[in-house]
Amino acid sequence: MDVVLQQIVNAISLGGIYALLALGLAVVFSIVSLVNFAHGELMTVAGYGMFFAAAVSLPFPFAVGIAVLFAIIAALLTERFAFRPMRKADATGLLLTSFAVSAILRVIFQNGISARPKPVPLPSGFAGVIDIGFLHIGIVPLLSIVMTALSLAALILFLNRTTLGKAMRAAAEDFQVLRLMGIKANRVIAVAFAVSGALAGVAAVLWIAQRGSVDPLMGFVPVLKAFVAAVIGGLGSLTGAVAGGFALGILEVLFQAFLPDAALPFRDAFVLGFVILILIWRPDGLIPAPVARRS
Amino acid sequence: MLEVSDLKVKYGEVAAVKGISLSVPEGSIVVLLGANGAGKSSTLNAIAGLVAYTGSIRFDGTSLSGRPAEDIVKRGISLTPEGRRVFPSLSVADNLHLGGAAHASGEELKKRVEAELHRFSILRERYHQKAGLLSGGEQQMLAIARSLMASPRLLLLDEPSLGLAPLIVDKVFDLILDLKRRGLTILLVEQNAERALEIADHGYVLQTGQVVLEGTGAELARSDLVKQAYLAE
Amino acid sequence: MKNFRFAVLAGAMGLAGLTTAAAAEDVTIGLATAQTGGLAYADQPSLAGFKMAVDEINVAGGLAGKYKIVLDIKDTRTDTAATVQAAQELVAEGVKVMITPCDADPSIAAGQISQPAQIPTLTFCGTTPTITEAVGDYMFGTYPADNGQAALLADYAAKKGYKNIYILKSPDSAYTLRLPEYFEEVFKKKGGTIEGEGTYTMGQQDFAAEVTKIKALNPQPDAIMTAAYEPDFPAFLQQLRGAGVTAPIIGSDGIDSPTITGLGAIANGIVHTTAGSPVEGSKLAAFYDKFKEKTGAAPETVYVATGYEIPYILDAAVRAAGSVDGPALRDALANLKDVEVLTGKVTYAGTSRMPIRDITIVEIEDGKRKPILTAMPDPADVPKP
Repeated sequence: MDVVLQQIVNAISLGGIYALLALGLAVVFSIVSLVNFAHGELMTVAGYGMFFAAAVSLPFPFAVGIAVLFAIIAALLTERFAFRPMRKADATGLLLTSFAVSAILRVIFQNGISARPKPVPLPSGFAGVIDIGFLHIGIVPLLSIVMTALSLAALILFLNRTTLGKAMRAAAEDFQVLRLMGIKANRVIAVAFAVSGALAGVAAVLWIAQRGSVDPLMGFVPVLKAFVAAVIGGLGSLTGAVAGGFALGILEVLFQAFLPDAALPFRDAFVLGFVILILIWRPDGLIPAPVARRS
Repeated sequence: MLEVSDLKVKYGEVAAVKGISLSVPEGSIVVLLGANGAGKSSTLNAIAGLVAYTGSIRFDGTSLSGRPAEDIVKRGISLTPEGRRVFPSLSVADNLHLGGAAHASGEELKKRVEAELHRFSILRERYHQKAGLLSGGEQQMLAIARSLMASPRLLLLDEPSLGLAPLIVDKVFDLILDLKRRGLTILLVEQNAERALEIADHGYVLQTGQVVLEGTGAELARSDLVKQAYLAE
Repeated sequence: MKNFRFAVLAGAMGLAGLTTAAAAEDVTIGLATAQTGGLAYADQPSLAGFKMAVDEINVAGGLAGKYKIVLDIKDTRTDTAATVQAAQELVAEGVKVMITPCDADPSIAAGQISQPAQIPTLTFCGTTPTITEAVGDYMFGTYPADNGQAALLADYAAKKGYKNIYILKSPDSAYTLRLPEYFEEVFKKKGGTIEGEGTYTMGQQDFAAEVTKIKALNPQPDAIMTAAYEPDFPAFLQQLRGAGVTAPIIGSDGIDSPTITGLGAIANGIVHTTAGSPVEGSKLAAFYDKFKEKTGAAPETVYVATGYEIPYILDAAVRAAGSVDGPALRDALANLKDVEVLTGKVTYAGTSRMPIRDITIVEIEDGKRKPILTAMPDPADVPKP
């Protein structure tokens, strides 16, 4: 029984990270119809932020702050210098731009920093376990769950209580009309990228807490997970992204935990097979974006 | 106040507006009539800065050419687009708030919201509801109120009565007259030619992207072309 | 252009059966290696070491003191198709020796181009023992092979008194799958049992489910053996220790990286193989100092050293062959015995061109790697590829 509960905690922890990742994609997609495959590289930038912070012995909370800050700056820079000039391009053009940004950043990391992984040591207390009843919860999964919850709460407050947040929600529904209100398109898009960068930064901290290192190609796997989660949830829908993230995390953990040993090497095939079933059942995702976009 | 001359709008290879000239004097209601695809909405969208065009659009003598939509509304031209296009998942409050956010803040913003709630009492009742749950007429009121939050001097209204029940249509036209009385200048695109010409000071009839007739509201209402095409029983 | 003309000339003279008596000749070594992409973590440092050795050898007059080395370096971007294309270009240019990436697939693909052209070809640090047989008699490994590492580790584990071991492997690469399987084979032969087996997806990073399973094992295994490397290994280790599992870990050379020691206290007690450990006073340590002096940064990995060794292995072969002619060089390489390099001795004679060479086992202690033993695996232990 406690193994089952333990696995549920694992699933929530992993699902939370995927939710943050998928949200990062969805925030941008909902406004500019761009699936930003360079999102993973924003995480890598955040990871290098943590590495540099650790190299000059900054305390861990500062390292987290720097990671998030780095990712936000990187997101704003890619928006300004890569995606804004391509604003008029169609969805395919934008997608290719994001691939190009991703590839360029990876080469910059490889040749400018190092092709080798760089260690990001965590405070020693992080390897510990907290006992809650008969549950042993590792500090890192607990931290993941708490940070995910805080980030989601902060995002909800931002979207519902601030003018910029409301403008972002409005932009997702009808960008043209928002411009008619006099609200600057560039500003709203930049804010969307900044929010996406912040989410990437938080996700990167949690991702790196698991792996202990950052390397130039680190972003590849998370951005794929984010994409799958966002599609499960309904591309462009923020609540859908959260639902998709948790769904993917839970699926992965459950299959890893309860598939027979002989079938384990095919875990991802099972997970993706299940994802296909979900999409057959709900072709637009679990919680599709509310409004058809206008041209 | 607004001078449009030789306006041309193209979507790819398709010319939607082929050289329209018109003028909107301060304090008047000017109406554009025409069938679907005559170029009415494209003309409004060009003025509001949403589509690229050639030719000249001058507001108070200043050229608006090349200016983005965000900038044009700041100069005092506000467009209420066809189909209302309220933000459905945002509350009435947030819709109004966003309408004014770029133009006022703090107390001034609150004052403007209060003024619109006073003007449209139905919106006060629906204040915290999602805009998408409002009826068509209520959404139209909200869309106009949202445009007015910018305190424009020229209001562009694109098909405000489309798809509304007759009772509501009356309300919309009463509102337009009331806005004019308060000093607002209005450029109106309307399918309901009869009602529109009743309140219009001046009108233009558009066909396939060109002006084919112009005159005062009364003149147009008497013309054979308008009678046949738009007022036919 | 000059090289091309030389190659044509040399080819023509070769056909005519003539030998040249030029005092200093150029010999072009072509490198089709991954300087960007997923293999750059291994190929970049290997190339850095390789170039340094080439410079030294050229200062001393070239290979065997008379063949000045010219390098033709192509980036394969970790793309097998691009590797094949690079290999084809290098063969067309008439290179005398070719170097391929640190991985089996591109190495085999490139080797199949150079084999018919009779160009001796060496993989930087491809460790899969089947590489050479898959290509043919011109293909050579340089790095300790997976089966050799596994044999030495299994021997160590048995002598340490471990009885039952948990194995974690991934079917995603030959290295992460076969190395633990070689280990299992040898360990069982030595009387051990395998307590359980786990599987992971490379890059999955989340080991919580796997770790929960290990945690539930009763009895707990004496040790956990895996060939996982980054980013999987640190993730696994952190989550394993986070769950309170204390079984020691036996790993392979893939975790010979500063990241692992950078993990802090949880890395204590990890035992793993490496091509070499820079113990104070060793040749390797002296090389690390020299490298740091020259480039300003200490090597991040032993791949720099193994890359550095390759031109010297070639030098030994050219001296034995007396020429850089393909078949002669191939024979000389295949018969090399006890060539002294930075990390110990390298022997090709009697192997299927995956060298037998010294392997070091180290234990991590407080952020440092402490060598436990350096030895060649017992050929009787080494499993057939």
